[in-house]
Amino acid sequence: MGVHARPAAQIVKIASKYKSDVYISKNGREINGKSIMGVMMLAAEMGSELLFKIQGEDEEQAMAALVELVNNKFYEE
Amino acid sequence: MNEKKKKNPKRMIRLQGIGASQGIAIGKVFLLTGDIIKVEERTIAVAEIEKEIKKFKRAVELTRKELAEIQIQARQRIGKEGEQIFDAHQLLLDDKIINDATIEKVQSECKNADFAYYKVMQGFQQSLENVDNEYFQGRLADIRDVKRRLIRNIQGKEPHYLNNLTNPAIIISNDLTPSETVLMDRQKVLGFVTNVGGKTSHAAIMARSLEIPAVVGLQDITNVVESNDTIILDGNQGVVILNPTAAELNKYLKLRDRHNEITKELSKIRDLPCRSLDGKDVDLSANLEFPGEINSIITYGARGIGLFRTENLYLAKSELPSEEEEFEEYYKVAEKVSPYPVIIRTLDIGGDKKPACIDIPEEDNPFLGWRAIRFCLEKADLLKKQIRAILRASVMGNVKMMIPMVSCLEEICKTKAIIEQAKAELRAQKMPFDEQMELGVMIEVPSAAIMADVIAEEVDFLSIGTNDLIQYTLAVDRGNANVAHLYKRLPPSVLRIIKQVVDAGHSKGVWVGMCGEMAADPLATLILLGLDLDELSVSPAMLPEVKRIIRAATFEQAERIAEKALQMKTSDEIETYIRNVMATRYKQKNLY
Repeated sequence: MGVHARPAAQIVKIASKYKSDVYISKNGREINGKSIMGVMMLAAEMGSELLFKIQGEDEEQAMAALVELVNNKFYEE
Repeated sequence: MNEKKKKNPKRMIRLQGIGASQGIAIGKVFLLTGDIIKVEERTIAVAEIEKEIKKFKRAVELTRKELAEIQIQARQRIGKEGEQIFDAHQLLLDDKIINDATIEKVQSECKNADFAYYKVMQGFQQSLENVDNEYFQGRLADIRDVKRRLIRNIQGKEPHYLNNLTNPAIIISNDLTPSETVLMDRQKVLGFVTNVGGKTSHAAIMARSLEIPAVVGLQDITNVVESNDTIILDGNQGVVILNPTAAELNKYLKLRDRHNEITKELSKIRDLPCRSLDGKDVDLSANLEFPGEINSIITYGARGIGLFRTENLYLAKSELPSEEEEFEEYYKVAEKVSPYPVIIRTLDIGGDKKPACIDIPEEDNPFLGWRAIRFCLEKADLLKKQIRAILRASVMGNVKMMIPMVSCLEEICKTKAIIEQAKAELRAQKMPFDEQMELGVMIEVPSAAIMADVIAEEVDFLSIGTNDLIQYTLAVDRGNANVAHLYKRLPPSVLRIIKQVVDAGHSKGVWVGMCGEMAADPLATLILLGLDLDELSVSPAMLPEVKRIIRAATFEQAERIAEKALQMKTSDEIETYIRNVMATRYKQKNLY
């Protein structure tokens, strides 16, 4: 039905697959990308530019997966 | 000795809410107050801390198991979408930030675990509560659901499941969580009514899937009713009636039986044409609110979508949908209803509809303010994006576009200029679209109705929106209790306007439809047939009833009935007249 897009859940699910720390910021506010509560708080802010900061042993894979998620519009049907 | 005061019979109360799921239910109230959790603040001994943390972790595990079971139910009863809702619940349960903060609070402040968790969640909830839109209200329902479940498990209390209900009842509650809704036993839960919620809340979506009638957004109904009160729930109109009088009860019992009968007869009538006895066809289509409702609309026998409200693509989101997203939604619907038409209405926001993703200023008089096409013409990029999406979807079937709230010709000309720009862009980008896509306007402002002949020269069709047309013509706000009685079902002034619009449209060779509530009002059907409307777009549940009335009448009779009604002086006079006609012709008394 796609009424309630679930991008927040998608981000968290993917971020949690990786060992690296994932931080997302918007309007200068930064949250842990593995926390759904954090991502929801971020989503409550106006604006649509997200900055991903990823650090750790599998940072490249994690970044690639998140970029793919965003580019695929969160795999919405 | 205390003498028990004999209670006066309770007064009938009628309350208007939001119809979240169609159908009529009549029964006893089951007041669900179990959703209020009590948490006490205690200071624990340092030696107890480890035990308290263990208790918390065990409760998380237990909750995880409960959620997994609910998720299975959700998948079976609602499908993939239901399952996904509980994905988010699992993530909330495992949220490291929340759980670490809770443990930290237990350790450093020596607090009991349920209190610590409650406090942590409270903090997050408060920052989200300030966000005034439906999307985040929905997320809050998720948060509350998980919070209650986990606190109950920390406290070691038994779950109160609604399916433990002994007798069939109508549930009244402040709010229903997604998990409460998904576990509802269709045999025991006749319907539900809540203080909070909107059409897109999870509880509402699930109620529609489970076909449980529901009215939401009643604000403080939990303070008005008591358990075992008799209540009528009309999910079609979004109305509940408490302690109905015998007459009211009788009326609704008949309506409910009729509704059930119709549901049974549905299979017989659904594939039959909407044609009068003397062969006059009316295009009977349905109003579509959510793309997900498309399957049930087809089940009800709609031949097309006469009004696809696009607001919900925006209202339920925290960010603007992209052109691709819009295109895909429209494309899917067009594909599903093809070869029948779908009329996509451009964004009708402002007034009482304010999406979070668009900034609309507060206004003193929003219904006379910056809304619908007035707003969109100022935000030309937004409008052009939507028009591009609609045009692109037009390759998939029979797509038409409709502009809401038009009050003068200039607005149509400006919109057409933007349509031409969009078409030129698409051609340049080699993106296909239907060059002949029909354009129509909604006639819902009296000035547009009066100028309908002029407007008709610019467009391919007119569709009369009766809700606003009545409100603007009578200058009555239906939501204002002091003047609501002035809002009528069949005002003679509005019937005259409708006739004028139909005649104006036909004189210019364009077809004229109707998509407001009046189109679905069985009391209006014969008049509308007689006034020669070409199309009626109604809420899906009313489709069979309207079709049945038209199939049992002749156009010629209907013309005479309409003519007679138009000579009458008051709405009450017209209503009485039509009721009599229905009683003799259809052997149905006081049904509507």
